[in-house]
Formats: sequence, structure tokens, C-alpha cells
Amino acid sequence: MPRYESLHYANPIDLLRRFIPTPLKALFRVGSVHVRVRTNDITLLPVIPLEADLEDLGVKSWEWRLIRDADSPGLLEPPLFITSGALTIVRMGPACLIGADREKRELLAFIGRAIDTRTHRDVLIPLFCELTSEIFSTSATLAFAGWNEASINE
Amino acid sequence: MMLTFNRQTLPFRTEFVVAGTRCVLATNSFEVLQSAAEWQQETDLCRSASFEMEMFVDSAMDNRVDQATFFRGHRHLVFALLPPRSFVTYDLLRRRVHGALSVAAARDCFFWNHLLLPITIGVLGTTVGVVPLHCACLDYNGNGLLIAGVSGAGKSTLSAAMAGYGFSFVSDDWTYVSKEGSTLVAHGLSSWVKLLPDTVRFFPHLRYLAPRTTLNGELAYEIDPSRTEGFAVQHSSHPRRIFFLERTSQSGCYFVPCRPDYVRSFFEKSAERLPDELVQAKAFRTSIIQTLSSCAAWILRTGESPQKTAEAIGDFVTGARNATV
Repeated sequence: MPRYESLHYANPIDLLRRFIPTPLKALFRVGSVHVRVRTNDITLLPVIPLEADLEDLGVKSWEWRLIRDADSPGLLEPPLFITSGALTIVRMGPACLIGADREKRELLAFIGRAIDTRTHRDVLIPLFCELTSEIFSTSATLAFAGWNEASINE
Repeated sequence: MMLTFNRQTLPFRTEFVVAGTRCVLATNSFEVLQSAAEWQQETDLCRSASFEMEMFVDSAMDNRVDQATFFRGHRHLVFALLPPRSFVTYDLLRRRVHGALSVAAARDCFFWNHLLLPITIGVLGTTVGVVPLHCACLDYNGNGLLIAGVSGAGKSTLSAAMAGYGFSFVSDDWTYVSKEGSTLVAHGLSSWVKLLPDTVRFFPHLRYLAPRTTLNGELAYEIDPSRTEGFAVQHSSHPRRIFFLERTSQSGCYFVPCRPDYVRSFFEKSAERLPDELVQAKAFRTSIIQTLSSCAAWILRTGESPQKTAEAIGDFVTGARNATV
């Protein structure tokens, strides 16, 4: 019996995986920012402080949509960052594609099947936090950009 | 590697019209400007910009691992990994395209004309006033014929046969429909005709070509209609008639008239599902399909070869034959 049906999502007419269900939800706090995480894989929920104050979700809340993509092969590749206006895109190969829209306060990530929990915790979650931070720091992102393949998959 | 897209990093600007929609392009590459030049003949400066493309060419991309075509999307964002070694993102709400291209891609006109632009119009589609419809389009004396049907019905094979029978070829697998005033315009995007290996029995000259793996992983012959002897090619047409192709084991070709609700239902069902954010795009598509449903339409049941079916359609549209051939 599969853990979650959405992990085995294979809708032939949804080639982009646009409508993959993300039934698991949780609220977190990243600094002063509230983050609502939606995912289809419980192992992608971040290990950061939970937010209990549901009433306080105001303008500073972000939504992270973390999608485990069972059909995406490979490990993380050295990141390519593209920033244009309110949008930051990060490509780390087919195994990890990230889009952060600061205007809409949404972060989307497709995370391939081979990305393990430790890599997610140690590499991707800090990156998501950075992309979500109030003062988006180019210098901090450049530190990620300088990482090489060995350092992110060691 | 970090690319920041702005006026300093993308100093060259141009604009062009593709599928009836105007694009403003910013880039750092002369090669990309040259590729876009082919589409500038149609530029209509009175038109307001429909979408923006920001294309950054970086030689560092050429050192990355090459990958097969790969798409993912959610809400208003769509990601595309496109060979050779290029990465393109589509922002459907802001109608912007951001691309990091390899030098190899920037220098390759095929990449620009047959991959990047058709994919861009296919993805942005309804958000920029163009509805991608899964059908072929041919033109006869200024009148467009759409050939629709389920996958595998033989649309491409019939289109190739019709192009050899005096119809002008507009598009093969996908037709991009826009509206000029109250008139529909069906656009083709220089796509190559894709013919499956078993069609060699109808087109013996294919024997001299080698089939290739296409974008969707199928093995097929791909022919460039603009370089195929006997093919006349047009970039657009005005759709007047629609044929829904159905293969049967019975010999003969039968044209069965169908009602507007059949046309509407077919195109609505075969259209890509759009995210809830794109309310206007959905409404626009519905209006285009509604207008299209007023075209004369038939279900074309055929048990004949593509050439005989093309001949029957030719006779039918010129009035030489009646509905049952």
C-alpha cells in the first residue's frame, strides 16, 4: 500500500505535474515570517519551529509548495540562480527546480526522488529560508551559487 | 552561477510578432537577435506588447550536463529544460519568459524556430491571446480547414497527403488560434511534420530519411514542409471548416455533419487544464472555442488511404462530391 497516493501521481494529461495534490499542511516560523508549507511527502516538511498561532497569519505569511516529484531523476547539480524583478528561479538540474515569487509570497519547489532527507534539510531548507527572508540577500545567495556538485551531494 | 536580468545585463532589445502576438525581446546576444529577425517581417508596431522574453546567453551553460526536454509547472510558473543545455522559465501571470541559454542554443536557428518559440506560445498560449488547439490546419483558396481528432487518428499523415494534393500547409499537430476583430486566425509555427514509421507505405520517399526520437519520445520521420517538394506553406489562415477525423475499417469516406456543441465539447475536452489563477485566460479560450463552433464541421469517417481521403476532402470542399463518397 503506498504511503501517499500523491507520491505515485501519474496523470497522463498533466505532463507538467501542475495539479499534483499536496494534502499535507503545516505552519512554521522563519525569523519573523510565517510559512505555510504544503507538500505531498511528509519527509519534506522542514525541521524548523512550528507556528501555533493560527490567528497571526497576516501579510507576512508565505506559502511553500514542496512537491516530491517521483519522476525526476538525478541528484542536485550546481545551482543556477536567475533573478528578474520579484522572481527568483533556482535550477539545480531536473532533481530540483525552485521558483520564489516575493510579490505573491509563494515558493514552489519540485524535488526529485533521489534527494534524501539530509540533503533536503541541510541544503534545500536553508535555501528556501534565504529566498523567503524579508531582506533577500544577494550575497548570501551567491554563497549558494558558489557551491559545487561535490559539496551539495557529499 | 547567478544571473540577474535587467537593462544592464540584457542591453539589446527588439520586438517581433509570433502567432499574431507581439513579443518584446531583451538579450545580451547578437545570435539571439539574428534568430528573432526572421519573425520581424510581420511586426506590427501598433499592437501592444503581449509578452516579454529575457534571454541571457552564457558560455558557462555549455559546460553543464545536457538533458532531455523536461517540463514542470505549478500555478503561474512553468520550468523547461531544453536541449542544448538551456533553461527557460515562464511566468504566466506577468507574461514574461526568462531564459538562460547555452551558446550552442543561441547559435542554433532550429532551437529558436522549432523548439523555443513553439513551446513558448504553447505554454503562454491563452495568457497572450493565442489558443493552442490540438489539430492540423490547411488552407484552400484562403479558407482554412482544421483537421482534428484523437491522438493516433492520423492527422499528420492526412495533412501531409493534403499538402501534396494542392492544399497549403499551415500546421501539423498544433494550431495557434487568435482573434483579429471578430475574425479567427489560425497560425502555424514552422513546425515540422511528424510521420510515424508505418506511414512509409503511403510516402515511399521517407525511406531515404532516418526516423528520429521526437520531443515526446516517439520514433518518427520529421520533414520540413518548407523544404518538401510539392508542399506550399502558409503561416496563417482563416478557419472556415473543421473535420474530425475518425479511422474505420469500412472502405470509403463519409462526411457526417456535426453540431456546434460537438465542436465545443471536443476542443474543451482536449484543451490543457489551466490553473485557477488564470481566470481570464480560461474565459478567452472559451470565447475562441465558442466562435470556432460556428464553423461548418463534419466527422470524417474514412477507411481509405491518406491520399484517397485527401482527394475526397478536396472534392468535398470544391463541391465536386456530396457527403458520402
